[in-house]
Amino acid sequence: MGLLGLAAGFCAVAAMAAAFLARRARVVVSSSLGALGCLLAGASALVTLITGTTSTFYTSHLLPGAGLSLTLDPLGAIFILATSLVGVAACVYCVSYAHGPMASRAAMTLFMVFVLTLLVVPAASNVVSFMFVWELMALSSLLLILTDQSRNDDSRSAALWYGVMTQLGAASILLGLLLASRGSASTFSAISAHAAQLSPNVRSFAFVLVLLGFSSKAGAVPLHVWLPKAHPAAPSPVSALMSGSMVAMGVYGIIRVGQGLLHGGTVWWWVAVVTLGVVSAFYGALHSTTSTDLKRLLAYSTIDIQGLVLIGVGAAGVLGDSGQPFIAHLAMMAALMLVVAHAGFKGALFLSAGAVERATGTRDLDRLGGLIHTMPVTAFVVAISACSIMAVPTLSGFSSEWLLLQGLLHGFNDSSTPAMIVMLLGVISLALTGGLTAVAFVKAFGIGFLGQPRSTGAAQAIEVPPTMKIAMLWLVLPSVVLGLVPGEFVGLVNRAASSALGKTSLEPLDHGTGLVLAQLRGAVQPAELFMGVVGVLLLVSAANRLLEQRRARRVDAWGGGRDVQTARMQYTATSFAEPLQRVFADVLRPDTDVEVTHIAESRYYEQSLMYDNRVNDVLEQRGYRPVINLVLRAGRLAQRLQNGSIHRYLAFGFVALLVILVVLA
Amino acid sequence: MNTTYVAVLELAAGAVLVSAVMTLWRRNVRSIISMLSLQGIALATAAIVLGWHEHDVALFVTGGLVLVVKGLVVPGVLRRVARLDPRSRESRPLVNVPASLVIAALLIVLSYVVTSRITSLAPSDATRLVPIGVATVLVGYFMLVTRRRAVSKIVGLILVDNGIALVTFLLTSGVPLIVELGSSLDVLLVVVVLQFLMVSMVHHSDTEQLTEMKALHD
Amino acid sequence: MTSPLYSVIVTLVQVVLAATGGPLLIGLMAKVKARAEGRVGAPIVQPLRDLRKLMRKERLHARHSSVMLPLAPMVIFAATTVAVGISPLVSTRPLLGSSADIFVIVYLLLTGSVAAALGGLDAGTAFGGMGSSRAMTIGALAEPALLVAVIALSIQSSSSNLTTIVSATLAHPDWVFGPSRLLALGALGIVVIAETGRIPVDNPATHLELTMVHEAMILEYAGPELALYHLGEAMRVSLLFSLVATLFFPWGVATGHSVLALVVGVGALVVKTALVALAVALIEVRSAKLRLFRLPELLAGGFVLSVLAVVTGLVTR
Repeated sequence: MGLLGLAAGFCAVAAMAAAFLARRARVVVSSSLGALGCLLAGASALVTLITGTTSTFYTSHLLPGAGLSLTLDPLGAIFILATSLVGVAACVYCVSYAHGPMASRAAMTLFMVFVLTLLVVPAASNVVSFMFVWELMALSSLLLILTDQSRNDDSRSAALWYGVMTQLGAASILLGLLLASRGSASTFSAISAHAAQLSPNVRSFAFVLVLLGFSSKAGAVPLHVWLPKAHPAAPSPVSALMSGSMVAMGVYGIIRVGQGLLHGGTVWWWVAVVTLGVVSAFYGALHSTTSTDLKRLLAYSTIDIQGLVLIGVGAAGVLGDSGQPFIAHLAMMAALMLVVAHAGFKGALFLSAGAVERATGTRDLDRLGGLIHTMPVTAFVVAISACSIMAVPTLSGFSSEWLLLQGLLHGFNDSSTPAMIVMLLGVISLALTGGLTAVAFVKAFGIGFLGQPRSTGAAQAIEVPPTMKIAMLWLVLPSVVLGLVPGEFVGLVNRAASSALGKTSLEPLDHGTGLVLAQLRGAVQPAELFMGVVGVLLLVSAANRLLEQRRARRVDAWGGGRDVQTARMQYTATSFAEPLQRVFADVLRPDTDVEVTHIAESRYYEQSLMYDNRVNDVLEQRGYRPVINLVLRAGRLAQRLQNGSIHRYLAFGFVALLVILVVLA
Repeated sequence: MNTTYVAVLELAAGAVLVSAVMTLWRRNVRSIISMLSLQGIALATAAIVLGWHEHDVALFVTGGLVLVVKGLVVPGVLRRVARLDPRSRESRPLVNVPASLVIAALLIVLSYVVTSRITSLAPSDATRLVPIGVATVLVGYFMLVTRRRAVSKIVGLILVDNGIALVTFLLTSGVPLIVELGSSLDVLLVVVVLQFLMVSMVHHSDTEQLTEMKALHD
Repeated sequence: MTSPLYSVIVTLVQVVLAATGGPLLIGLMAKVKARAEGRVGAPIVQPLRDLRKLMRKERLHARHSSVMLPLAPMVIFAATTVAVGISPLVSTRPLLGSSADIFVIVYLLLTGSVAAALGGLDAGTAFGGMGSSRAMTIGALAEPALLVAVIALSIQSSSSNLTTIVSATLAHPDWVFGPSRLLALGALGIVVIAETGRIPVDNPATHLELTMVHEAMILEYAGPELALYHLGEAMRVSLLFSLVATLFFPWGVATGHSVLALVVGVGALVVKTALVALAVALIEVRSAKLRLFRLPELLAGGFVLSVLAVVTGLVTR
């Protein structure tokens, strides 16, 4: 706890430095202090996970009412660890990235405050502290979205959507927590002790309220509409933190309240969580395949992966309730490992997207290309992170997904109906999203980085400054380390899962560098696999060298007999995803428009052709907009009551007074 | 010998459901009718195997009846009906083929989840397979609703009937012979009447696509 | 002989068999198709001769390509070799057999597909992009059927470890003709045809670029790199056919430590894989290539069959 306090102190000092220093020193000093703060927080999280202890801190001075109460236990620690990984990279990245509006006092101060709140949320342990830090986190990120006003429409609309949805979510969470704390003190430990005395209906109602708020934050469909707007509109280090860390806070909330405070509750809670996860995973993966904006693709991919995390969390709940604590533990471990892995690779991808945008001036994949030649380090980072998301073996995504698959697979041994539904849905969802994720990231890397540049911006790109490179490479480390030697971290994740589920004596995985489930007869040794693959690659290179002494000759590509190959003849991101868009047209409902202009002389020859293809978020178009229109119409009707006449307003007051008198009588 | 009985019963029930899925999958009307006759044969096999195991002669005869009616006669009549319309493909169903296959998968999962609770009350080798029959009913109903051509709708109806028959065979180890005879004759009557109707439909309005008919002719 | 040495020998034998047998399988399928069509056809060893011819040719790189172009065939070859090496095809004791998880194999195959698609996009041509796009779409639609069918097998054996599945099937011969296994076989059959690019999914012998799927991704490859690519693809075909043969009919796989069992295992594997190749070739002869947008129907059908396999597996437990 002391370390965490020190970390928080560093971040607070960083915020003050950002507020008071002059521009030249502001960015460097505050970013460095922030990075140090994140490192300290990460260290404190590791200490907690290694020793498995819980530490507390309380002061009644900082907050009104019940005061500031912090408890650092292994469950919170693993989320703090994920945040610190991304936080260090985002702060270091800021040093070169922040210029113009991002380097202003307001922006840097808010950024440091945002990092601070992300580190503290998993440690807050009474309702007041939690809601205070939660709201501060939402507010600071909301204001940060408005930093870059060069794309005015985008950021304002994104901020509006984000603000409304996050506030509604916060209200829902507050209501749920208040309901759960009825009749007891408002500290989390008191709520937990008292929960058994609440009626099951009250508990379920509280969980539903809390689930609405937290799942919206985690990007669960259908409450996800703010995510694909807000994450691209924010500056890149902020997006990296939002995607890598803030959405995980939603998952943290569900686990903390559902398991920690309300002790599991009914099975149907967790079936609901799994259903949310299943729909989110499929929907997110599908929309990421058809997005041509790089950051929007990454945002939808976040929805996809968080859906998988929710499947793991829900499966843990269902199995725990059905009497299979061993497999439940395994599913929870898989979900938590995926959270940390996601922080690593999604953070790296967002920072790289920012680097690409900085270097080329655009995020549109249809205008990028050939960046592997001019930005090799960025390309390397994107390649490794993309491979990790696609679950290429020996990287972190594969380790987590393998654990999740094992959890679902062995959960079939139970014969209770909810468990069966959960396992079947989870398995089908994982199967469907795996292939779609691969398409999305082959598109992102292949179209964005390979081939020829599709615009002058892409052709004139230069590699980003060293601090940005260091930040991106730092986030490649978790993908590689968690992938190659996951066994080393199994103990840490195990303690976090134990803390989450309240049982401390289960150890599904054996010790070692790989993942070994001795009792379930499953094992993967990624380090050995990696050595095998590298060995073969080395053999092939050696054979290459022996056979051919000359270098390869550069020639023109095959163009079907044509002489000239221009960059415009390449496949674009839209064309790459078009077959899938057609297959899933009923779900995606794209707007496609083709306009043909013929030449004046003949209707058989075309002068120009315009093809407009838009894939909007279906739920937003069909679900939210009608509701918004309804609300606006109601507002307009209400407006007619205010016609400016003072007589009418006085009459309102008089009628209200009469009504009150009648009611009192 | 017991394991052979179980194996053959499982294979027969599985074949009933697989042929139902294949009718959703194939577009060629002739293939759909072949799948239907295959399903009739599988259903008959299930009935005969059950009859042999339970030493129930009535079930034997029922199986033979099903073989004749649902395996040979009904598909034959349907083939004659299908020949009336030279366009022998189901080209644009209301729900496209991949989507209907995915929905079929979800219906199968649903029927398993719902029925396994009931069958766990009285578990035996035969009752464990009841979800397969229920799934056939659901798939048949889905086909009835989403296909445009009259022949495909009739096939859906027969799938529903076959599914119900399979469930009754498995649950009660046999239906009284009279009941099965009656239901088979009902189905045959429906098919024959529909054949006459379709002849006159094609004659009068040159199409037997039921979605084309939304208003009454004078 | 000692256990680690035995495992090394098993792995080496499997890799060499796949590397030489893969091209021979492709030659065998071409020969069967030719004979069925009334032609004489090229000799079965022709693909090996083609590899030798390609090794002597000049190495060419497209003008706008990067390090991805030569890297892709190496990654495909490495991933497939490791997958072949750790699978229990000839014996239940290959090297790293404890890692021989069926999901590892599935995702190693996915890695190969991703590398191939990226190699196709690297040259910056229209055909490469088209091939990559189509190949990834087919892969994405085949993935659900593959994973769910594999899970059906794992549920039945209570483990996803390949060696355990093989041993469990050897111990329960009555599983082989159960409805769950047959449905999973049907689903995996469709997936194998999609993943190896055979008719009705893709025509490996086409020369028209607009009809290509897998061939379009390798238009820019030449010389030794093309040879490595073809070898990697041939090993992939060999791995997929051998896996289907071994998982569904594991008799002949050596379970002990003896050399004789190993020889028997090799013979059994050759025969079984050749039979699978024969079946695929006959399917190719009987069918025509499907339109690209009819493929989702086929693959959705495979998906339904695999879901059926899982459900019937649960029902008949």
